[in-house]
Amino acid sequence: MDFGFTKDEQAFRERLSDFLDKELTEEIARQNWEDLGVKSEAREFSLKLAAYGFLGLSWPKEYGGQGLPPTYDFILLDELGKRWGAHVPLDVGYTMVGPTILRRGGEDLKKEFLPRIINGEIEFCLGYTEPNAGSDLASMGMRAVDEGDYFVINGQKTFNTECHYSEYHWLAVRTDADPNISKHKGITLFVVDMDSPGITVRPLWTMSGERTNEVYYEDVKVPKSRMVGEENKGFYYMMEALGSERNQVFVPGRLAPILDDLIQYVKETEVDGKPLSKDPLVRHKLAQASIELEVATVLADHSRWLESNDLPMAYQAEITKVFTSELEQRLVNSGMEILGLFSQLMEGSKWVPSRGRISWYFLHSFMTTIGAGTSEVGRSVIAQRGLGLPRAY
Amino acid sequence: MDFHFTEEQRILQKTARDFLQAECPSSFVLEMEDDEKGYTQELWNKMAELGWMALVIPEEYDGVGGNLVDLVVMLEEMGRFCLPGPFFSTVVLGCLGIMEAGSEEQMRTFLPKIGAGELVLTMAISEPQNRKYDPFRVGVKAEAKENDFIINGTKLFVPDAHVSDYIICTARTSGDQRSKEGVTLFVVSSKSPGIHMTPMKTLAGDKQFEVDFKEVSVPNDHVLGQIDQGGEILEKILQKGAICKCAEMLGGSQKVLEIATEYAKEREQFGRPIGSFQAVQHHCSNMLMDIEGSRYITYKVAWLLGEGIPCTKQVSAAKAWTSEGYKRVAGLGHQIMGATGYIIEHDMPLYSRRAKIAELALGDAGYHRDVIAKELGL
Repeated sequence: MDFGFTKDEQAFRERLSDFLDKELTEEIARQNWEDLGVKSEAREFSLKLAAYGFLGLSWPKEYGGQGLPPTYDFILLDELGKRWGAHVPLDVGYTMVGPTILRRGGEDLKKEFLPRIINGEIEFCLGYTEPNAGSDLASMGMRAVDEGDYFVINGQKTFNTECHYSEYHWLAVRTDADPNISKHKGITLFVVDMDSPGITVRPLWTMSGERTNEVYYEDVKVPKSRMVGEENKGFYYMMEALGSERNQVFVPGRLAPILDDLIQYVKETEVDGKPLSKDPLVRHKLAQASIELEVATVLADHSRWLESNDLPMAYQAEITKVFTSELEQRLVNSGMEILGLFSQLMEGSKWVPSRGRISWYFLHSFMTTIGAGTSEVGRSVIAQRGLGLPRAY
Repeated sequence: MDFHFTEEQRILQKTARDFLQAECPSSFVLEMEDDEKGYTQELWNKMAELGWMALVIPEEYDGVGGNLVDLVVMLEEMGRFCLPGPFFSTVVLGCLGIMEAGSEEQMRTFLPKIGAGELVLTMAISEPQNRKYDPFRVGVKAEAKENDFIINGTKLFVPDAHVSDYIICTARTSGDQRSKEGVTLFVVSSKSPGIHMTPMKTLAGDKQFEVDFKEVSVPNDHVLGQIDQGGEILEKILQKGAICKCAEMLGGSQKVLEIATEYAKEREQFGRPIGSFQAVQHHCSNMLMDIEGSRYITYKVAWLLGEGIPCTKQVSAAKAWTSEGYKRVAGLGHQIMGATGYIIEHDMPLYSRRAKIAELALGDAGYHRDVIAKELGL
């Protein structure tokens, strides 16, 4: 066993830390994390990350990467997370779409997209969920019909979060609607230009102020060259990518700044002449958060290690997902309790503690146990894949 | 980073599991709860023959030269089978204690004999006034008198004292009762005149004792480390002890999960296995999540401690998490087993009772949260 990092990995982390301390402002971090839309500052930051050689280390050399192990990308995510930057600025492309194109896409698709993803130039939005296909994703009904050189797509997606600022839609649609085959076997993945005629994006505003979208397709033509891998294999491509996506998206390190902010707050805030940090209840809440953060970190490290070494990862990344998202809720709830009466105040209010970060996170945290699969689906997956319990549905 | 066991560790794990499977069935564990001694010499000797007591002792003292992760692998198996007897007291509290601070002469005196299974050791920490666990709050006094120290006072919750040859006893040689400074560690012969032991009846039937020291004389050369400097040594021993306790708990909780999962697959109600119901599946996945967290934080901290990397916060995180995790796992195990698991001959009560004992040993989650709060600068 070895829980340390190599000298090269440490050197990379140090170089990266220096860069991020200078370049990653809270404004940029929030543009991405709060899904308000990656604006010019975050786009510039993305290009700079690439220009300084911090993007693409774990990607193959032939597409502009450096051919190093996935550990480097995980270090990048951890260091961004520590500074409120939840992920790389254009993260859907970098952490979800890119790897599947690399694994399953044809050579043309790889050449067209991978170098631009690695250079931090383009972003994708995920086009999976539909009004009637949430946890039961394979029941999606949006339809693509083969018209020779292209497909014609009609239907609706919902909760497609980055669509208002992405160049491309990473779209899963039904290409085979035969009711006699398994619904998992009729889904195909496409890369669709977001400025294609016939696409309408409507905002859905969430309780935390984040924006997500409904997306409507009306006779949208998508060239066959934009089909990912084989026809009707899309659902399997989505599933095989899931573990890695969880490893890249559910990064315990991103909870560290919340805890750090709370620690600072309780040290600086006095009640009856005594700092809140001396209150046993407060101490225990924060200590418990710290314990759980240590546990989340080692759980994530374990599933990352499995991925990095191409070892079977049946349920471990699901544990990382469920644990980290629920930890976020527990941590933020503890934070709100510690801030007490003042916890309800939002950014911009005169008396707001911790710049409103905790109250924003409180609102946000309702989503973490739902997005990318609910905790309930996650627990069933863990029980079935991890322990071999029989499926009930 | 590498989460793999070494080949030697895999062999160790398998050997330990096979041996304990054969030698330590749950009927034996239950029987030993009512036995005054609490284990059999025969089993102890067999373990010694396998070299288990010598596992972490350096080769120069006739040991195997293993590291803390090796010991964790071994203890995980012992926790899995609820092994009765003074292995933990001897090898973790006693042997690691002497290895931490013993003089060359003490090492030569004790380690080879411990390794050979010829000595049983234990450690005396808690006292009657410590209603809240605090190993550094030491009231038992040791006073210098010519070439000896004279120890007076009462220690509680001393594991396996009745079968021990030596007790590593914390005693105050100077300073305030609450101060970490002024604590000294003594290796006291358990047969010394003035020592009186009374069993403390616990809910797991393990063997813990009240040990009264009345004018107990300990020679100068039985001081472990420096006089008044025992607090620092104690902290190091207890950190290793805590992670070793985590290993035991990990093994126990893994076994509970296996018992419950197997039952959930076989037991049918409403015409189908109860393990197909989501409520039961989610109980099982909660157990697995708790255990995976306990597992990797235990391995990680054992590695950190073995490498000598400071990790006070992580040690406490591991003990707090694993203590509460084992308790939750045992609770869910009972829930899945239903009334069957409530019967004393069933395996479940072995684990749920030991989960509680282990939680309390070497600091419960509350104690360790206090340690972490300090580490966070609060």
